[in-house]
Amino acid sequence: MKSAITVLKEQFKHFNLIRRISLYELRNNNNANYLGLAWEILNPLIQISIYWFVFGFLISGGEGRFAENPSGGDRIPFLPWLVCGLIVWMFFQPAATQGSKSIYTRLRLLAKMNFPMSVIPNITIFSKFYPHLILVALTLILMQFIGYPISIYTIQLPYFIFATFAFTYAFVLLMTTLTTLIRDIQLLLQATLRMVLYLTPILWVSNSLGNVLGGKLVLLMKLNPLFYLVEGYRAAILGQHGWYLVSSWEYTLYFWFITIVLFVIGAALHMRFRRHFIDFL
Amino acid sequence: MDKSIIVENVSKKYKLYSKSSDRIKDIIFPKSYGEDFYALHDVDFTAYKGDVVGFVGINGSGKSTLSNIIAGIVPETKGTVTLNGDAALIAVSAGLKNDLTGRQNIELKCLMLGLNNKQIQELEPKIIEFAELEKFIDQPVKTYSSGMKSRLGFAISVNIDPEILIIDEALSVGDKAFAEKSLNKMHEFKDRGKTMIFVSHSIGQMKKFCDKILWLEFGRVREYGSVKEVIPKYESFLDEYKKMSKQEKNEYRERVTNS
Repeated sequence: MKSAITVLKEQFKHFNLIRRISLYELRNNNNANYLGLAWEILNPLIQISIYWFVFGFLISGGEGRFAENPSGGDRIPFLPWLVCGLIVWMFFQPAATQGSKSIYTRLRLLAKMNFPMSVIPNITIFSKFYPHLILVALTLILMQFIGYPISIYTIQLPYFIFATFAFTYAFVLLMTTLTTLIRDIQLLLQATLRMVLYLTPILWVSNSLGNVLGGKLVLLMKLNPLFYLVEGYRAAILGQHGWYLVSSWEYTLYFWFITIVLFVIGAALHMRFRRHFIDFL
Repeated sequence: MDKSIIVENVSKKYKLYSKSSDRIKDIIFPKSYGEDFYALHDVDFTAYKGDVVGFVGINGSGKSTLSNIIAGIVPETKGTVTLNGDAALIAVSAGLKNDLTGRQNIELKCLMLGLNNKQIQELEPKIIEFAELEKFIDQPVKTYSSGMKSRLGFAISVNIDPEILIIDEALSVGDKAFAEKSLNKMHEFKDRGKTMIFVSHSIGQMKKFCDKILWLEFGRVREYGSVKEVIPKYESFLDEYKKMSKQEKNEYRERVTNS
């Protein structure tokens, strides 16, 4: 618990540095491309269109797919349904894979720093966070035109963005230590994440699953904290689920319980090993 | 006089694993796996402000390990290192990111050291001028020659103005002209009362530049004293050591490490 507080304090203390270096990284990662930073947005747009084409169109034999509307209104077309979930994934997936190797790939280069090592994963996460915010803004604009305008429920969005960030950092902090100690975990993580995309209700519709196995299947799927985030983004952006974080308060508690447990373990391991990371290269 | 570097009883233990599974077992289980190897064994020394200390010793005597520990890059296993001021290590191509250009490396390095944008803008032209990279400053570092890399590394470290400067073989790569320029810069540092550590195999440079010599032998301090005292002894030792056969060398090593 003590290490968790230390790590948290370090993040706040070096917030400015995180912001500046992550912007710098973002700029430099795209330096070699002609289109530069535009790729941070172009890449997600291409992904969205292919997922929409396959899972929203081809899979149902060329008829548009729809999702049941939880508010009982008109059915929700697949595109807005997909976009709300996919933007979460397109932040989490690169942040998790690149974040988890952030320490050991840089250790030798940046061995001498005037800031604590717990800041490094956050730099990577932050450099993915800027494009995410832009995507969220673009999504909100798109929704204005296809029938899901900003409503009172949009207020939930900042909360879910924060929750996504918190979970990602907790997860990545733990992974950085594990991958530095045992390099195989990086490969395991990449393989697992590929699977998790299909276990999260991004490409499929969760509310029609309600009665399978007496509701137990949905319960099982909900063990995945990303389920909460994806549904949360949907509730906030589409405005059809009501106050998601209140109406499913048990799930909210579960989500934060998992996040905090991951963070406490991650911080404890991080503090225990961080001075010795260099010996594991 | 103020003490600048205090190294007390520092040991550095590396683990040698015969199998990669031993490494994991060593992390998880309390029992120790793998063979211990001491790169440094109870090293003690103190440097005062303004001292220029040269580290000498044959290969594998722990010079680089000790300078890395003082620079704070590698943690010590036992003992304490106390520094008064920041330390910067200059080693060949240390801390440069290959995909970034020279200029971006300068910026990143300065950011990492916590400088703000204004300070960076002030420093950048000075560093670029000192490194003499000209057009190459906007090319990725991976296209640099080793001399260019060490020039850039040297230029960055020197211009951020650390209190303690550790130079690990970095001058042996550049050409004569740059070595001269670097030496001048270091003389300037010396005059300003900065502490420096100098790791090199060139006894000529040592004689010219250092005040004190720390002679390391298989991770232990063989001798620590003024240049005049230590260097002649080290030179005669080198002559002797060169003449030894392989077996004699091994016996000698055994004798030293077991005493």
